[in-house]
Amino acid sequence: MPWQLLWRNVLGHPVRSLLTVGAVAVAVFLVCMLQAVTSGLSRTLDAAAANRLLVQSAVSLFVDLPLAYQQKLASIPGIDAICKWQWFGGRYEQDKGGFFPQFGIDPETFLVSYPEMTVVDGDYAAFQKERTACMVGSDTATKYGWKVGQTVPITGTIFQRTDGRPWEFTVRAIYTSTSAAVDKISLYFHYDYLRESVEQGGATGPEGVGVYMLRVTPGTDPLTVQQAADALFENGPQRVQTTTEAEFNRQFISMLGDVPTLLRLIGGAVLFAIFFAVLNTMLMAGRERTRDLGIMKALGFTDRTAGLLLLAESLALCAIGAALGLLLGLLAEAPFAMMTAAFLPGFGFDRDTALLGAMVALGVGMIAGILPGLRAARLTTVDALREVG
Amino acid sequence: MASAIILRSVTKTYTRAGESLRVLDELDLQMQGGTFYALMGPSGSGKTTLLNLVGGLDTADAGEVIVGDTDLGTLDGSQLAAWRARNVGFVFQGFNLLPVLTARENVELPLLLAPLSKAERRAQAERALELVGLSDRMDHKPRELSGGQEQRVAIARAIASDPEVLLADEPTGDLDRTTAGTVLDLLQRLNRELKKTILMVTHDPQAATYADQVIHLDKGKLGRIDDNRAAAKRS
Repeated sequence: MPWQLLWRNVLGHPVRSLLTVGAVAVAVFLVCMLQAVTSGLSRTLDAAAANRLLVQSAVSLFVDLPLAYQQKLASIPGIDAICKWQWFGGRYEQDKGGFFPQFGIDPETFLVSYPEMTVVDGDYAAFQKERTACMVGSDTATKYGWKVGQTVPITGTIFQRTDGRPWEFTVRAIYTSTSAAVDKISLYFHYDYLRESVEQGGATGPEGVGVYMLRVTPGTDPLTVQQAADALFENGPQRVQTTTEAEFNRQFISMLGDVPTLLRLIGGAVLFAIFFAVLNTMLMAGRERTRDLGIMKALGFTDRTAGLLLLAESLALCAIGAALGLLLGLLAEAPFAMMTAAFLPGFGFDRDTALLGAMVALGVGMIAGILPGLRAARLTTVDALREVG
Repeated sequence: MASAIILRSVTKTYTRAGESLRVLDELDLQMQGGTFYALMGPSGSGKTTLLNLVGGLDTADAGEVIVGDTDLGTLDGSQLAAWRARNVGFVFQGFNLLPVLTARENVELPLLLAPLSKAERRAQAERALELVGLSDRMDHKPRELSGGQEQRVAIARAIASDPEVLLADEPTGDLDRTTAGTVLDLLQRLNRELKKTILMVTHDPQAATYADQVIHLDKGKLGRIDDNRAAAKRS
């Protein structure tokens, strides 16, 4: 194989080669990002704990459950901890365009139920003791430069203070997470602080609990607890739906639609478009090189070499495009992970994703190179030289 | 001993737009090794077809084409390609250099098919370029060379692998008279000094005077053969 000729041909049309490489790079980048999201969803679901159940309203996640349900749930055998979760939906005063979730929780049962979380700065006991304290994820703390002891003003959108001022939470602990199911950006504060403020007229907002988390004792079948919880409120006053954490996450994600299928469709469309772009480039290259191929064959190069030359050129363009696309993906991973951390903590550009991107590019290069390669191989020397005129 | 070329009852028919055209019609011809032949005749007389058959670029419909010890009709496509690489050098009217390669790389191209190291290929290509007087243009691309220089690079490429037979199709067709003279002198030198068998298609009677013998074709058949050496001796 005349490798030197291969590279000279690639570099012979720098603009066209650059555009093709750029198109492949963008396609590989997009495919990898879409795959990273899809596999991130899987990782998030796979990492969900089997011993945590979530009880929500059977009507909708947006309908709160009565506070009194906690006591009734506690009567179900096989539960060793219950933790309330209430979506706060506030905005940080200094970054109103930014987003990170905030939840009111029960500090006594929260951390013990989530062993994936580790306090890396401050003290959980201090968070637990202080009514207006909060615990924040390490990514959010880093992003805003928050330190332990600092007061963070959050304006409520669902729960608004009647004095018109923002809520103020004191950072007492910063946590990190080792699981794809738990993000590193949320802010947790005392549910009781929120409830008391509403009850005492210091704030307005719905009374109740968004979700109850039940931690099942070791050795207990979660399905039994799940059925017992649903049966407990079958006759009202408000029916509940108890699911595993994985199922809850799946339902939450499916509120956006069938994301994996949508992403695969987009990825497929991108590949389809890029395949035609590369095929077009290679067909043009093949036609332009009819004379050159005729000369090579006259000099003694075989039909096979002539065909392989075009196939290799197609593969080379796609391989360079793949390398650039993967580099772009690696560079974009951190900012993209930050952007999606709230709903996709499992997002990551792993080896399998990179491998998929490379395989896709080489597959496109191979298929797009076959047609011009076959044409080059079948071209007779006399016809190729005659085309010169 | 340079390769002799023998054609026995060679027939070649082309079909174009549903019509058959017999380009060579049971042609018998014998050429001696180490001789410079010019091939002349009107357009459509079969000159280029004959050249293609002798060079193994095309195959005869009937008859035998024997170059040296090889009956080309017995070889398949890849065997013909390998045979071409070892035994024949081509010089075309339009030079046919690869535009993306330098003069040296163009000359090295056929040497990629020979069992040579990179250094040997380079040395052999440089020797061939020196032989055609282009040692100072080795790193120039075809677009940076004049027509005459391009054709000399093409000749260097044709002789780089030291084939016994050189086939030239209108090698001076795109050149002015002076440059054409230089190229023809070079071909004559290759024949006389290196004993190459040369078969050159030309329309130019002046170019044909450089050959030892001139073969005239007419409608696919042999017309006459003029012997320039005998004529030169007589005069």
